[in-house]
Amino acid sequence: MVLNTAILGITVLIYLMIVFYLGWLGYKRTKAIDDYMVAGRNIHPYILALSYGATFISTSAIVGFGGAAGALGMGLLWLALMNIVVGIFIAFVIFGSRTRKMGKNLQAVTFPELLGKRFNSRFIQGFSGILIGIFMPLYTGIVLIGGARFVETTLGINYDVALMILTIIVAAYVITGGLIAVMYTDALQGTLMFVGMAILLVFTYVRLGGVVEAHQALTNIAYLVPESLVKGGHMGWTAMPEFGSPIWWNLVSTLVLGVGIGVLAQPQLVVRFMTVKDDKALNRAVFVGGPFILMMTGVAFTVGALSNAYFFQKKDMISLAVAGGNTDLIIPEFINSAMPEMFVVLFMLVLLAAAMSTLSSQYHTMGTAIGHDFYRQYIKKGKISHTVDVTKIGIALTILASVVLAYVLPISIIAPATSIFFGLCAAAFLPMYIGAIFWKRMTKEGAIASMLVGTFSSLSWLAFVHAKEAAPLGISQALFGKATLLTGTWTVVDPILVATPLAMLTGIVVSLFTSPIAKEHLEKCFYKIR
Amino acid sequence: MLGINDPQIWLAYLLSVLSALGCVIYGLMHWNDKDPLEES
Repeated sequence: MVLNTAILGITVLIYLMIVFYLGWLGYKRTKAIDDYMVAGRNIHPYILALSYGATFISTSAIVGFGGAAGALGMGLLWLALMNIVVGIFIAFVIFGSRTRKMGKNLQAVTFPELLGKRFNSRFIQGFSGILIGIFMPLYTGIVLIGGARFVETTLGINYDVALMILTIIVAAYVITGGLIAVMYTDALQGTLMFVGMAILLVFTYVRLGGVVEAHQALTNIAYLVPESLVKGGHMGWTAMPEFGSPIWWNLVSTLVLGVGIGVLAQPQLVVRFMTVKDDKALNRAVFVGGPFILMMTGVAFTVGALSNAYFFQKKDMISLAVAGGNTDLIIPEFINSAMPEMFVVLFMLVLLAAAMSTLSSQYHTMGTAIGHDFYRQYIKKGKISHTVDVTKIGIALTILASVVLAYVLPISIIAPATSIFFGLCAAAFLPMYIGAIFWKRMTKEGAIASMLVGTFSSLSWLAFVHAKEAAPLGISQALFGKATLLTGTWTVVDPILVATPLAMLTGIVVSLFTSPIAKEHLEKCFYKIR
Repeated sequence: MLGINDPQIWLAYLLSVLSALGCVIYGLMHWNDKDPLEES
């Protein structure tokens, strides 16, 4: 990498000093359980919006999905639209307000606790906690690997050392400062990400001679799409893939719907609605959140696709060829060859910030899920009182698990971790979460049935049908001697389209056949909720 | 439109920008909204 290591080193150092200062501030302001778990329910709307956005957008959303746009084209912009409409507007305005009030009514400090207390079930809280504790480390593992690879290549540090440094730095401020430290540092990291991505967009359009000119240049080279992708339904980088083709299914079901809807039931994001005082703060956060997400995924997908036009003009090659077939390298290759050196430094910082902001929230959520939801509430039936201490131990243990997983598991299993986790959350939690805050008739039995059906149908579909995960996992191969149990189009349909509706249906049917939750409890849950 | 021939793509491009703008307008319009139920 042609980069002035001294400038980068100093920049990273200054950045880390500010991060530590904010972490220390979080530590100073943490006095009670509510501070550590839900940032005292009094966070500033700007911090909420940036923290939500920076947690939502990891390095893999920019580099991985941006690279996917480099291969698949601008059709991914439908995901950017979903991210803004579903991930911000619907999440904050429709889900956020009710979640915040119910969280306060029930004194819940985590997402599993909100669900558990709403349905009067420690089992729901414990099961949700253990589900998060088992599957989130996979998702954390991939973010951790990405962050460590960044430190390795840019600062020239050994990968193992990089992994340890990154883990220790993030662990230090998450464990000591709790959610306040996490959200303060997120806000700084989010600001950096916003500025970096804005510059990236402007530079890319300037390099290609303007907005319309850039798109036109990309439209003109549609004939360069490799034969293998054309067969899969690819019709150019400024066109949707052929309707019903494998690439279309991958784009629409896994990327646009899977990730686009899955975000609603992400525990680390839902808990953020409980960190503000009133609805005013949620509305103000929408003001910041919409443009923020546009600048993240909207820019990453546009620039990823446009890199083809740039590389064609400079090297007479398409991005996939420049990156040697590895889509993860498209964005870094493009930044290195198209952007001025100072910007390369800034962008490296953006990627580090994106990794750290996602990691810190993951650690906090996993720690609270294992320490508070599973161990303290489910195993010990709430009998031990030191929530914060138990959570800190939980965080330390799950961090350890993530690091071990990052080492032990082969990359082919960790790579689809993000979509596995998103799909699982959507199936296991979303129907029950919607029922919890919108449908008073949903019963404890209905919620439990929906959670179990969602979990196991999603996992079975992943292991036995959806080829992208089933093939590398190899469970179906080992048990039945074939890579997937179903064939044809089914193997490209994302689990979210099967498991979530199934869980939803189960929840409704079982609820209608079981007796409703006591009126007094519902009144407590829905106090001041219209 | 915008140098993109497929309406499915330029629509996504425009809608993304418009929805972000919508978030800004919504935020401004409800900047000081209070929930009447929580007033008391």
